[in-house]
Amino acid sequence: MSVETMNRNEGKNQPEVGRDVPRLESRRKVTGRADYVHNLSVPGMLHAKVFRSTVPHGRILSIDTSEALDAPGVHYVLTGEDIRAMFPHPYYGPAFHDQPVLALDKVRYVGEPVAVVLAEDPFAAADAVQMIVADYEELEPVYDEVEAVTSPVVVHDVLKPAGTFPDLKHLHGKRDTNVALDYQLRRGDCDAAFSAAAHVFEHEFRSQPVMHVPLEPMVSLAVPDHDRLTIHTASQSPSFVRMEIARLLGWPENRVRVMVPHLGGGFGAKLYIKLEALVACAALIARAPVKLSLTMEEQFYTITKHASTFRIKTGVDADGRITARRCEVYWNGGAYADIGPRVTQKSGFTAPGPYDIENVSIDSYALYTNRPPAGALRGFGIPQLVWAYESQADIIARELGQDPVEFRRRNLLRNGRPQATGTIMESAAIHEVLETVVERLEWAKPFDRGSGPVRRGRAIAIGFKASIAPTTSVAIVTVAADGSASLSISTVDMGQGSDTAMAQIVAETLGIPTEEVTVVHPDTDTTPYDMATLGSRSTFHTGNAVKRAAEDARERLARLAEEAGMPAQDSYAPAEVFRKRYGMQAGTVTGTGSYIPEYRSPDEDGQSPKVTPYWMIGATGVELEVDTETGHVHVTRMVNAVDCGTPLNPKIVEAQISGAAIMQFGFTMSEEMHFDAGQVTNASFADYKIPGIHDIPPLMDEYIVDAVQSGGPFGAKGVGESATFGVSPSIAGAIEDAVGVRLTELPLTPEKVLRAIRAAAGDPLED
Amino acid sequence: MRQHISFNLNGRPVSMDVGAHEDAVDVLRRRNLFGARESCGQGLCGCCTIKVDGVPVSGCLTLGLKLDGAEVETVEGLEREGVLDIVQQAFIDAGAFQCGFCTPGFVMMASDLLARVEAPTDEQIKDHLAGNLCRCAAYPEIIAAVRAAAEKRSAHAQV
Amino acid sequence: MLDFELRRPTSLEDALAMLDTDDPSVRPWSGGTALMLMMKSGVFEPSVLVDLTGVEEEHASIRRLEDGGTSIGALATLASLQFDPHLASEAPVLGQALPRLANVRVRNVARVGGCLAHGDPHMDLPPILACLRGLVVARKADGERRIAVEQLFAGYYETVLDPGEIITAVELPTQTGWDSVYRKTTVRTHHDWPTVGVAISLRREAGLIVESRVIVSAATEKLTRLEAVENLLAGQPSNAALFTRAGRTAAELVETIDDAQGSASYKRVLVGVEVRRALSQILEEGSGS
Repeated sequence: MSVETMNRNEGKNQPEVGRDVPRLESRRKVTGRADYVHNLSVPGMLHAKVFRSTVPHGRILSIDTSEALDAPGVHYVLTGEDIRAMFPHPYYGPAFHDQPVLALDKVRYVGEPVAVVLAEDPFAAADAVQMIVADYEELEPVYDEVEAVTSPVVVHDVLKPAGTFPDLKHLHGKRDTNVALDYQLRRGDCDAAFSAAAHVFEHEFRSQPVMHVPLEPMVSLAVPDHDRLTIHTASQSPSFVRMEIARLLGWPENRVRVMVPHLGGGFGAKLYIKLEALVACAALIARAPVKLSLTMEEQFYTITKHASTFRIKTGVDADGRITARRCEVYWNGGAYADIGPRVTQKSGFTAPGPYDIENVSIDSYALYTNRPPAGALRGFGIPQLVWAYESQADIIARELGQDPVEFRRRNLLRNGRPQATGTIMESAAIHEVLETVVERLEWAKPFDRGSGPVRRGRAIAIGFKASIAPTTSVAIVTVAADGSASLSISTVDMGQGSDTAMAQIVAETLGIPTEEVTVVHPDTDTTPYDMATLGSRSTFHTGNAVKRAAEDARERLARLAEEAGMPAQDSYAPAEVFRKRYGMQAGTVTGTGSYIPEYRSPDEDGQSPKVTPYWMIGATGVELEVDTETGHVHVTRMVNAVDCGTPLNPKIVEAQISGAAIMQFGFTMSEEMHFDAGQVTNASFADYKIPGIHDIPPLMDEYIVDAVQSGGPFGAKGVGESATFGVSPSIAGAIEDAVGVRLTELPLTPEKVLRAIRAAAGDPLED
Repeated sequence: MRQHISFNLNGRPVSMDVGAHEDAVDVLRRRNLFGARESCGQGLCGCCTIKVDGVPVSGCLTLGLKLDGAEVETVEGLEREGVLDIVQQAFIDAGAFQCGFCTPGFVMMASDLLARVEAPTDEQIKDHLAGNLCRCAAYPEIIAAVRAAAEKRSAHAQV
Repeated sequence: MLDFELRRPTSLEDALAMLDTDDPSVRPWSGGTALMLMMKSGVFEPSVLVDLTGVEEEHASIRRLEDGGTSIGALATLASLQFDPHLASEAPVLGQALPRLANVRVRNVARVGGCLAHGDPHMDLPPILACLRGLVVARKADGERRIAVEQLFAGYYETVLDPGEIITAVELPTQTGWDSVYRKTTVRTHHDWPTVGVAISLRREAGLIVESRVIVSAATEKLTRLEAVENLLAGQPSNAALFTRAGRTAAELVETIDDAQGSASYKRVLVGVEVRRALSQILEEGSGS
């Protein structure tokens, strides 16, 4: 294919953006030849295996590593003290510097890394780990997020905020509390509004701890080289890894190089620091490359999704308008804060839901407990919130005798109205998303609820999310002498298709085919800063930076053309410009662009004119069958609709919608981490069940509503999480529609459904 | 126990020393084949699918020693002289993957199904792929890809 | 590090001689799917594995017996059971259940003998073979015996097999006149192990149930035959009221266990429902006579 013209007017036909370009790396993926960190080995590499805590909370009395050290093939056995001897402050974390590279003084959850064996092969390392003996003085643990608020058990004696994020700068060190962050919002006068309300509803909803389980388990390899360190890692945030490891080592950033090839799924599990600090410290101590590959089981001890308790109180007037809402949300953050405080705050912005409510009060607490750490998972807290506020929306509508869609229509926010934070809604197709689901589900038509043992029900739910700001992305576009372009970004394509979408932006701007754009894998030596690949931010944030970089390259090419004495025109063939300018196929043009959206920190009442650059919106409608004799729920149909602005690659967007919805379907129906005395008892696919091909609803439809995101690259915004929002509450709502019972704790297992049915019938099942 | 074993790997004879502790995935890694990869380690996710003597098995549940004398095929062997297998191409056309980690396993299972059943129903497709997990949940696209590959193959057969 | 000797006998006699020891670290190996998991997790550290897959081919064959019954070699894979033409007509319940039993890769390597000898109650095949009135042929160096499938299991992951004794075949009597159904209930995902497995065979004459087998597994510590339910069915006309009573009786009598899949009381309910539904399904689908 030849390189065509550049400088196409944006107003014209846009064949690159909006085209269903197959993923650029497709061929590598179907042939098994895509490079994952998993595949890497380097000469002299040592294999690490982690020895983990068996107690949920305790003081470390002793760790005996002598036998392990004598085992065949073992080079080093390191404990937290060995790390501290070389690195005086071996703690990391994006919100709090609370997590030790290996446990120091105390252990805070079962599964916490306590020591590490470095050996010649992974089997020798695994054997030697069995020989380590640790002795603890056991302390009382605290597991429940609500109990953690008042519990005398304190997980961390002192809280140490990291100061990384400008929006969390207000965090201060505290003593003797498990509350890592308490986010507050006050708008209007809730108490007065509740007194005046015609009806007041109070409910509590709970969500369970789950795990992302990317099929590529976490893996990192650190390679020391004189005064530098290279880390190959399965990470969603290479720029953060470089910064944080450099801080930990006391080095300048340029001595740490972080490289990320393909990622075998992330979903939030591979953000910030996971294994990188451990392999970095171990490699520097051993003066040898160190690789750590977790097993599937070990992933469950590394990061989880917050369990939550949401107490929601709502006042409604005689017409069914919501006049006041009080939200108390407790987030079970586990033993280390990870990004939990930011989840608590960012999701807190939208805790009252996409409704126009005059009087709002929000208290959202990030809590330490003696469970594995919790962090970001596809939705950043929003699915837990939507689960509560949309479940309650159905309950209220039912009690008021209103149609649940009508009730939502009456209360939904409209563009131009202030949301709870005071930020004015704009470019938000909330009504369109709702109406799309309503229409596709044929809500207005009569619905057969069945008779006999199988009953049918249906429901819809809608949620929204504020994006992650303030965060920065930088991009570099390089045009080679033959006109082909490469894009350097530190955004990680973990399967969501960002490489392809970004290449489409470059191609569109330069007027070349997407297939001729190469996207350089993140390598912090060459690819510029990007805050992280999370929270559906890449399309908007990185996308804008990429567009600016491509525009910059286009302008430089135009200048080159001018220097070459070419007549001014709309479009040039880049190859021709280079040839004219340099007399042969030679030269390079580099364009750069960076983007940081506007953001204003909320005041002490949580009010801000700009808490987010854009709003993500998703709604789900389901039809299902409930087997009243067994409690089995069979979702027969699922309709998902989103507002993602104007999609850059509609086919990839549709796959993101169904993929997100199915993932949340697993969190709704079957997935749950079980604990016994702090120990995860189902840390494997044998007992932690994620959806398989038979589990998905037989009818699934994805809709992208017509919309344009102002300020988005070519009108686009992120979509990776939007279809998670409505799944859990729509299923619970449809169960109630079918059989008249309301479940308030996830997951919605057949046993819970049956117990509720039997209890409602006055014939409860024994415990 | 270490043993020198010989087997055919994607049609080529190989021989190597294998330890009792190694499974088939470990052995293939040492041949620089990474398409079969360990994920769950319990034979439940299908990421390590390979074919041994003509049938798909879980590499993570196959003793390396048991490859001795076997005919072993991996996803890397599907491509013939730079031309993708009909299933691989169908996966690309249907966008039947996201992160790609599980994809070799699904491709291997789907090609096995099409070798056995000419025009599989959706239920047969699901039954055959029920032991493979995709956390990105590209299931709708995977079903469409297998359906399309079957149609394309029968169209070819009729020519 | 896992280290053991893999022996590969070419005859059953040689295999039995190798296994003729009280050393529990010497174990037979066929499909290996279950043992491999136990070895990987460190639950089982073998010294010697005796690979049975190289013995005489007859031990992997499925043969029609002269009396109309079927002999299934213990080394037959689950896949060969699924696609065997004789079994397809003789015991269609197998072909119906197998496509959703474990997964294709497991069925390609797992063997009938290993599936029974493992003693895992969460398996689908043992209850089916039990309702088909199967006899396990077990052999050790000094002789052979036959054990009814439902008597093979002594407890959770326990069988009545002696050390050194291996299963060589399962014999099924003729199924003429019998109709069988297996119902697998999962509660987490479709591809999960069964929470309850109910296998029922009925022989009916002139509209009356003459004989039956009612087997429950997975919800129980070991595979269980519910003879009280069989007695209740005997001599009765098959109808919905009878099946409801049968389900109720099954639920009352069955001893279910709590585990990660659910409480004992929930599983009790499931057993009752599934026994009733299995009986109704036979009535709807079965050829009868």
